Amino acid sequence: MQLILNAIASAAVLAPAAIGFTLIFTLFRYTNFAAGALMTAGAFAAWQMNDLGLPIWLGGICAVAFASGLLMLSDRVVFEPLRGRSGGTLLLVSIALSVIIDNVIRFAYGTQIRAFDLPLRPPLTYAGLRFTPETLSVIGISVVATLAVGALLAFTRLGRALRAVADNPSLSSIRGLPVPRIEAAGILLAGALFGLSGTLAGLDLAIEPNLSWALTIPVIAAAIVGGLGSPLGAALGAVIIGLAEELTVAFISAPYKGAVGFVVIALVLLLRPQGLLGRAVERK
Amino acid sequence: MDAYLVAILTTAAIYVILALALNMQFGLTGLMNFGVVGFYGLGAYSSGIMTETLGQPIVMGMLAAMIVGGTAGALVSLLSIRLSGDFLAIVTLGFAETMRLAFNNEDWLTRGPRGFLIMTRPVLEGLGRDATAWFILGVFLLVAAVVFVVFNRLAGSPFGRVLRSIREDDLVPATLGKNVLAYRLKAFVLGSSVMALAGSLYAHYVQTVTPDNFTTQVAVLVWMSLIVGGAGNMKGAVLGALVVTAIYEGTRFLAPLMEFLTPTQVSALRFIIIGTLLIVVVRFRPEGLLPERIVARPAARDPAPG
Repeated sequence: MQLILNAIASAAVLAPAAIGFTLIFTLFRYTNFAAGALMTAGAFAAWQMNDLGLPIWLGGICAVAFASGLLMLSDRVVFEPLRGRSGGTLLLVSIALSVIIDNVIRFAYGTQIRAFDLPLRPPLTYAGLRFTPETLSVIGISVVATLAVGALLAFTRLGRALRAVADNPSLSSIRGLPVPRIEAAGILLAGALFGLSGTLAGLDLAIEPNLSWALTIPVIAAAIVGGLGSPLGAALGAVIIGLAEELTVAFISAPYKGAVGFVVIALVLLLRPQGLLGRAVERK
Repeated sequence: MDAYLVAILTTAAIYVILALALNMQFGLTGLMNFGVVGFYGLGAYSSGIMTETLGQPIVMGMLAAMIVGGTAGALVSLLSIRLSGDFLAIVTLGFAETMRLAFNNEDWLTRGPRGFLIMTRPVLEGLGRDATAWFILGVFLLVAAVVFVVFNRLAGSPFGRVLRSIREDDLVPATLGKNVLAYRLKAFVLGSSVMALAGSLYAHYVQTVTPDNFTTQVAVLVWMSLIVGGAGNMKGAVLGALVVTAIYEGTRFLAPLMEFLTPTQVSALRFIIIGTLLIVVVRFRPEGLLPERIVARPAARDPAPG
């Protein structure tokens, strides 16, 4: 049971970012490797605000806004001029972007490990489970955010428009949808999700520049396991990755937690390349 | 100063070999390998284990590196080579991170973060310090030259032409009866084993390898070399590796000018510069300094080299 709780906590950190990643992928058809870097940037933004004396929830909101703006900025400066180039080119550029963001953080904050300034509270015990209040809030916030984004995509006008643009931008444009504005909304939403995940990662783990690569691979793995393009799948994928990570820690060896993403991706690609909830699509 | 120049050239030779290997995979065949450091590190450790733990001569170490690197390349590429390029990129990146974890944690084999000491060097006995450095440089340049000549020949050969056609559109060669999967696999294995060879050379040159030598940042430098030089052109790969080494090592001289920065900040700044340059090149000169030249005549007996 403890193991499942831990797995859900890991999943809670990954899920929003995995949804953000899959959103970007469906809108623009490229793999954004800067996901981890954006999350780390979010975590640092939250930490900075927290360090200035703001409460953590306010720091989290700042992180969401900051990551959202950062993704928007990087899209305008870096990705937008390259629209229409091959997915491989954009992927390479996103790695370069990730290196830049990581090193800007390293430049500004050094390599020291940081943590939020939280009041020390004793861990709670309930039905033989031990957990900290932070774990509980991480899970709660993540579930609420995931459901909210899911509802947004499924039921609102913006959600329908986003799905239409992701499916076929030129057709949506003909039907009178303001495609650039909808794309911008998608970018802001994805950035906000990265920022949220980053803050949660900061609550659950530690905040350091090296977080970036440690987060990118599980996030992408979660999105792939769930089936690229499916937000619900991404959330489910996050749970599977979280579970696999905890099982690895419990039964194999803790340091190899980082390899889980890779192994799971490999298995999925071997057994079910379209992911759990994805449709088999012609990808090029 | 002289010794420093020799050291830079030696490093440059390693980057030249890595860039050539990546050019075989990405430049010619379009395979996105972001796990360059995985194969590079695997080669370094395989070679070290062969010469130190098992006490074999250095040639055996280099051979072991190439075999292990090639085998790993085959396994990694088989996972995803049938799917689109993005998946290969993700799998190779995951592979590299996993290898680094393994180097870090399998203490019994790699001595973990404390570093693997390698005493064997690719030199003759009894040379002085300067002569040794020059000798190593000579060996590395020789290997780089051999790799260049072989790969350049391959690129111009029918084999290279099939690889290019796979890169452009894999349906065409498939329709012509070429086994696309086998060609991709060959190109990937060839590149991976040469990356591992570069790792072996590196290990015997620096003599201490730690998992930190094999982070993704190194892969970014190799990618930068290829993109700046001109993907698809073997000469471009060489030029790119030299340019990137010059930029990377050249920025070292900026450090004394900026004494107010800590070493961490200087190192971060260098990578910010490298990353920015990479994006700028992709945007404004995607074909690189030496663009690939393809002879349009279909009946050309021998297309322009490179």
